[in-house]
Amino acid sequence: MLKVLQPFRWLLLLLLLLFSCLWCLNTGAVTLNWQQLWPCLFDECRAATEQQILLELRLPRLLLGLVAGAGLALSGALLQNLSRNMLADPYLFGIISGAGLGATLATLFLPQYAIALPLAAFAGAVLAMALVLGFAALGGWQRLDTVILAGVAVSFLLSAVTSLLLYQSEAFAANRVMFWLMGSLARADYQALMVITPCLLLCFTLACLFRRQLDALQWSDQTALSLGVAVLPVRLLFLLLTAALTASIVAYCGGIGFVGLMIPHLVRLLFGGQTIVLLFGSMLCGSMFLIWVDAGARTLLPEQELPLGVITAGIGSLFFLLLLSRKGSRAL
Amino acid sequence: MSTQPLLACRDLSFCWTSQAGLRHVDLTLNSQDRLGIIGPNGAGKSTLLKLLAGLLRPASGDILLSGQPLAHYSLAQKARQLALLAQDTELVTASTVFELVELGLLPHKQLWQRTDHHDKTRILQVLHKVGLADKAQIAVSQLSGGELQRAHVARVLLQGAQLLLLDEPTNHLDVQYQHQLLQSICSADLSLIASFHDLNLAASYCNKLILLQHGNVVAAGSPQQVLQPALICKVFARPCVVDLNPFDGKPRVTFAPGAVDA
Repeated sequence: MLKVLQPFRWLLLLLLLLFSCLWCLNTGAVTLNWQQLWPCLFDECRAATEQQILLELRLPRLLLGLVAGAGLALSGALLQNLSRNMLADPYLFGIISGAGLGATLATLFLPQYAIALPLAAFAGAVLAMALVLGFAALGGWQRLDTVILAGVAVSFLLSAVTSLLLYQSEAFAANRVMFWLMGSLARADYQALMVITPCLLLCFTLACLFRRQLDALQWSDQTALSLGVAVLPVRLLFLLLTAALTASIVAYCGGIGFVGLMIPHLVRLLFGGQTIVLLFGSMLCGSMFLIWVDAGARTLLPEQELPLGVITAGIGSLFFLLLLSRKGSRAL
Repeated sequence: MSTQPLLACRDLSFCWTSQAGLRHVDLTLNSQDRLGIIGPNGAGKSTLLKLLAGLLRPASGDILLSGQPLAHYSLAQKARQLALLAQDTELVTASTVFELVELGLLPHKQLWQRTDHHDKTRILQVLHKVGLADKAQIAVSQLSGGELQRAHVARVLLQGAQLLLLDEPTNHLDVQYQHQLLQSICSADLSLIASFHDLNLAASYCNKLILLQHGNVVAAGSPQQVLQPALICKVFARPCVVDLNPFDGKPRVTFAPGAVDA
């Protein structure tokens, strides 16, 4: 790390985020120059098309990218903290396959209602989470590793059901579901923001209040108990919060993997491991990462949009391998 | 009732479904006593410590902490009185030493309260006490095993707990760190209850010993009273001699090597 920059790292990060926002607003199929962009941001557009592109297409998409990236990274950081497993990720809860099943059902059986897809995806995510948490409750919450393994099992089960349904269905519907499963911000509207943002704020506020408890849980359950932390209630509260946050994001954006795994790792390297710093840093970096990925998804191929999940999974799995080779099996 | 014992238990029993558990344990610990729990594997040492820490609920009997039943304490109240130093062998945190010690504030702070300037001074004070003042900003992953244990002791000092419970604290430490750790606890004037495998370490650092076998208290008292050759030989099923440690004059147990007739 560059020692000189240490005191300014938060300021640098915020400036970088701001710059990224402006850059991503200006990136897309139609390139606007800065003279066109500035007045539009302050409600004085010169042309109606510019206004439409910026305020109705790009701005909601940018904002959704910001909250979704922040939410995924925050969930990942919280789960890694709670489970003391640095490879924990919201998707290990089976949430994505639960949402996938919901989305598939909605697409196949209720194609006429646009609202059905996010609702069904959310319901599916909640179902997956309930299965995983129910299994963990049966085991008495002894080890969170068991919760994660249960998540993997539930994930496979629900994916199998989804695959069966898609196999039986017509090709067009299957295509739609597949594209949704691979993740995209194309569905962005202000309704999505109204759902995800409160979840994100609630999660972050509570995490700030419980920062010492979360710090203590990084050591061991016994140490946390000995410090007076009610380990089980705190863990359950944050498991539910992260699950709800992830489910709301997945419902609108589909499957965007590896953000929750990768970003907290980077933040730990840059800013250290104290909970509050980790969470805030993860949110900022997660936002920035996702809007850049989205900008890439919109522009890498001409006339066509790449699914976000493809890019994040590509970058993420390389990152994952790098991490494994650096830390050996200790990280597992 | 002029002085109240810090911790007392009366007729304490506990049953595991699979193994023996504990039967009718009585003990009294006064302020600044250091009690060593010794005995072979499976004698109930860890069970006793977990009962005293409130991690297990006794089947019968009472545990009184400063005269109040342990069950009446809230988690935070208990944390201000006694601390269990767990063996966190797997380190996954990227915290610094300062942040580890700062955890000691947890039972004293409400959710919304900040760590203020006064707290920071106190953190540096306790770090100074355990000899880690110069390592405050170092990541805990860079500490040696002994330094990490001492950082935990500093955390307990900040926590304000008078009584420290340790389960085989010297298990993973080499000789130098074993003594450093116990010395830093002794010099911090904490009361201590610890289980030991090393009888001589227990004799050197504890003023009271309790010898367990199959969940029963076989002997209790000063090291001189408990470390009797005939008794130790019987409990550990191996001939031994007991003489005096030339450095501190405490009893020293030496077991016979090789094959023995039980």
